[in-house]
Amino acid sequence: MVPRTREIVKQNMSAEINFTNLPKQPVPRVVLSPRRILADILSKGWIESAIPFLALFLVIGGILLTTDGYFVPANLRNLAQYAADGGLVVLALLIVVAVGGIDLSVGSNFAMSAFAALFCFHILNLPVPAVLIVSLATGALIGGVNGVLAGLIGCGALLATLGTMITTRGLFTLASQAQLVEISTSARMDDVWDWVGFEKFLSMPIGFWIWLLVAIGVFVMFRQTRLGWHILAVGGNRKAARHGGIQVKTTAFFAYVLAGVIVGLAGFLFAARQNSIGADTGIGLEFFALTALVVGLGGFVPGRGPVVAVMVGFATVYILNNVLINAGFRGDFVQFSLGAIIVAILAIDVKFRKNRHRLLASTYLDPIALKLQDVAGMAGLMPHEMVPRLRKAEILAAGKLDGPEDVLLDAAGNLYCGTRDGCLMRLRAPDYVDVSVFARIGGRPLGLAFDREGRIVACVAGRGLVRVTEEGEVALLTDQTARSLFSIQDDTTIRMADDLDIAPDGIIYFTDATKRYDIGNWGLDLLEGRANGRLLSYDPTSGKTCTICDNLIFPNGVCVTHDGKFLLVASSWACSIMIFDLGDLAAGPSVFLQGLPGYPDNINRASDGGYWIALAGTRNPVIDQAMKYPGLRRRMAKKVPPTNWLFGNLNIGGVLKIDGSGKIVDALWDAPDGPLYMITSMREHEGALYLGGVTNDKIGRLPLDTADRQWNGPASYWEKGQ
Amino acid sequence: MMFFRSKAQQVPAMTLEGVLGPNSRLDEAGGLSVTTPEALCVAGDGQLLISSGKAVLALRAWGEEPALWKSFDHPVTALCGSPTGLVAVGLVDGTVSVFDQDAQPSSGWKGPFKLGTVTDCAFLSETELTLVDSGYPPNENVLSVAPWESTPNGKVLAVSASGEVRTVISGLHCPMGVSCDAKGDILVAELERACIVDAAGRPRQSGYPAYLGRLRKTRSGYVMSCLARRDPLIEFLKSEHDFVAEMKANIPPQNWISPRVSPAFSHDFPIELGATRLFGDIKPWAPSFSYGLVIELDDNLMPVRSAHSRANGRRHAITDALSWNGDMIAISKASGEILNLGPEGAVS
Repeated sequence: MVPRTREIVKQNMSAEINFTNLPKQPVPRVVLSPRRILADILSKGWIESAIPFLALFLVIGGILLTTDGYFVPANLRNLAQYAADGGLVVLALLIVVAVGGIDLSVGSNFAMSAFAALFCFHILNLPVPAVLIVSLATGALIGGVNGVLAGLIGCGALLATLGTMITTRGLFTLASQAQLVEISTSARMDDVWDWVGFEKFLSMPIGFWIWLLVAIGVFVMFRQTRLGWHILAVGGNRKAARHGGIQVKTTAFFAYVLAGVIVGLAGFLFAARQNSIGADTGIGLEFFALTALVVGLGGFVPGRGPVVAVMVGFATVYILNNVLINAGFRGDFVQFSLGAIIVAILAIDVKFRKNRHRLLASTYLDPIALKLQDVAGMAGLMPHEMVPRLRKAEILAAGKLDGPEDVLLDAAGNLYCGTRDGCLMRLRAPDYVDVSVFARIGGRPLGLAFDREGRIVACVAGRGLVRVTEEGEVALLTDQTARSLFSIQDDTTIRMADDLDIAPDGIIYFTDATKRYDIGNWGLDLLEGRANGRLLSYDPTSGKTCTICDNLIFPNGVCVTHDGKFLLVASSWACSIMIFDLGDLAAGPSVFLQGLPGYPDNINRASDGGYWIALAGTRNPVIDQAMKYPGLRRRMAKKVPPTNWLFGNLNIGGVLKIDGSGKIVDALWDAPDGPLYMITSMREHEGALYLGGVTNDKIGRLPLDTADRQWNGPASYWEKGQ
Repeated sequence: MMFFRSKAQQVPAMTLEGVLGPNSRLDEAGGLSVTTPEALCVAGDGQLLISSGKAVLALRAWGEEPALWKSFDHPVTALCGSPTGLVAVGLVDGTVSVFDQDAQPSSGWKGPFKLGTVTDCAFLSETELTLVDSGYPPNENVLSVAPWESTPNGKVLAVSASGEVRTVISGLHCPMGVSCDAKGDILVAELERACIVDAAGRPRQSGYPAYLGRLRKTRSGYVMSCLARRDPLIEFLKSEHDFVAEMKANIPPQNWISPRVSPAFSHDFPIELGATRLFGDIKPWAPSFSYGLVIELDDNLMPVRSAHSRANGRRHAITDALSWNGDMIAISKASGEILNLGPEGAVS
């Protein structure tokens, strides 16, 4: 073993950090922007049904303006009483349409079930539960015939159900004509029968509650049950469902049967309420139900089961129909205007659905003016004022690594780095020729650090915070934090864990660079320039994740100071380094360093008590100016192809050396066309600096003439206190 | 707006596809290093004349060493030859002189004429010469400045052997090259408008995918040298007047967003997102502010063949190209070379 002499390292570069004298870094408590609110609402799943909802609101608003006393409780009860059977039929139709079919026979089925109920009740004098069972069975039987024809045999759904529609209607007419007189003259009274037909529970009709229960049942079925999922899968893509092992034909059969049962229930409710049937019972019901369904679904779309939206569509059509008839318009005029209104709603809805993603894409990017501090403290250290010293760097593992964002060295000198394909690689000391996969993490491993036990803790974009043991076993530590205040978009998930460091007490501090973009499009975050990131902490003993500071501008590199009392956090797009007092995190960040000549990435300790700062790219006057023009960046994102977007110059990077008090003392640059560009990390290890780049395929190694040749990172963190 | 968007939009510019599709002919071509080359012409005895700073060199055949033809007091900006062997030379100080093929001042021509900036020239006849004045001082970085200047200061003049000067067209947007079509009408190539106009200022052909340089007649049509590829970001920023005004006021021109001569990076140059290196390399398909492009056109000025030096190439900023002894010859200002693209031919 190499003798460890860190304790006697001259801390000549370290200076006391006077936290209280540093200027406070303003952090917005909440990021509010109308455009963002719109974008966040547009990205919600429920926005799909916005137009049916809007149509319902407009209908209700129109009625409120023109009709007095429409929405009084008595009328609402009345509406609910008569809506129940129509609503049930719409639900039945939704199930059939969701599986990719159609059922024209619902009207006939409805009438037949109602007849069966009345026949059983008045002629056969069966008890009401038996009447219900017979009604349901009648519905199920007709649904079953549909299921066999359209589902199992594979006749076309339209023709098959047209057939059952006509046949059932014929049977119904025959049967009802034969029994009509007897039914209407029957004097049988039954409390349960009347309760179903006329009683109210919690001031609403029983039929309404049954309808509500069935709607909830269908909702839960589509969300939670195997049959519901299978129905949606079959409707969405029959072939894929079959390849996925779903019994396509059986599923379709059961969907028809289920729809038949629900229609049977609707017939039973109708029978109990009306106590009579006529030759026109259920005629036109299938078209009324189809209209309501299409308004709610926004078209004829199989594979979807939005119960709430369909019920809203039903309510719109039902109330509109009702109010027009109430207003005393002629029946043909009502039909005409109803048709026209529905066509208009549908046209708007279809357009909206088609363009929603475009609207979202054009509103999601929400730039803000960002005035950057002029470059400061770099006199004589800019690239054109110095020789490019990184030219002398030795290139390691060229072509063997895909994007080593961070590099980490253990006490023995083995080098670890993440790659774009989600692996943690190990390069064996001393020559780093042996490159092997140390662990397969998945996601995009970025920042790395050793904990006290010698395990690697990694920030993984797309996954969260991950720990890898010395044997290469991977464990997820955390991927969620508390939701931000007033956020419409759920931002609990850590989207882009970027870099971390571990305090002496074992608490892991790490950054979530942006809550709004992923590793694939983080560049948009620069165009946005907003405070989208946050600093988080994870306590391994309690397993708790905390948001230390929300609304930071692309917080990137994290480094615990040599004395373990402060935390340095790089803010990439602000070109500054913030500092947190670990003893008083609530005080928020102060400005440690600003006006950097480029975009700071990782920060790491130097052997002399100072720090290294990786610059992923350099600032230039044009992009600095563009950061002051949010409208320009937004228009550019719309009009210019992404490949041509004005961007920070990531083709030239470098490393800054600062002393312990934050003064820039040195800069290392590569030649403009040199192999080490976009430097995202660097580690000092026993007299050399190791450099990694997120878009590079190599590691650079630069000997440091004046550095302490005994110093290494793990010892600096974990051996001092012993 | 999204619901009722008009489908009528501007006619799109030509893209680098089809006959303009990318290749690496410029980078693969044989090259001859020349210091600061700018213009080419063919002398009466068949020699290729190459401007090189203050000198004009003569090349007898490809593969030989160029010899000094004549040297001047100022850098040469324009060269052209006439069918009978006259050679006109434009200099940075704005003078134009006409020589015979032995590099002696031509007896039939007065001169030198002092006429402003001489960007390009062409003989209309043995007794009349037409000249392009880009409207910018000769030492100005025209590529940086031209995209952001909306006032048309460029003009085309004609000067006769006796010294009479007339203005053929004025009010052009940075004209860079002049040529004559088969009927003897003047054609002018405009740099950042990427179009070719006639003597009345009417566009003959527009929508070229590049910022245009010189235009020369060949046997089968024309050859057009392009200084850089047209860039969507630059075209977009032309409509961002506040931003451009602030850029012009506060930032030195070499750091502006603009077409460039050289593909080299600098830490204070802006780049486009797609130009970010991957594994250390510039991808050939990356966007770039500099580009090498020579387009051969037919008689109707439609492209029929092209030679490229792409984002990862180095033979960018083609200032002149012509047909010599059946070969296509071009100048790359970025690499300081004369390139031989091989036999001229409309069909590739």
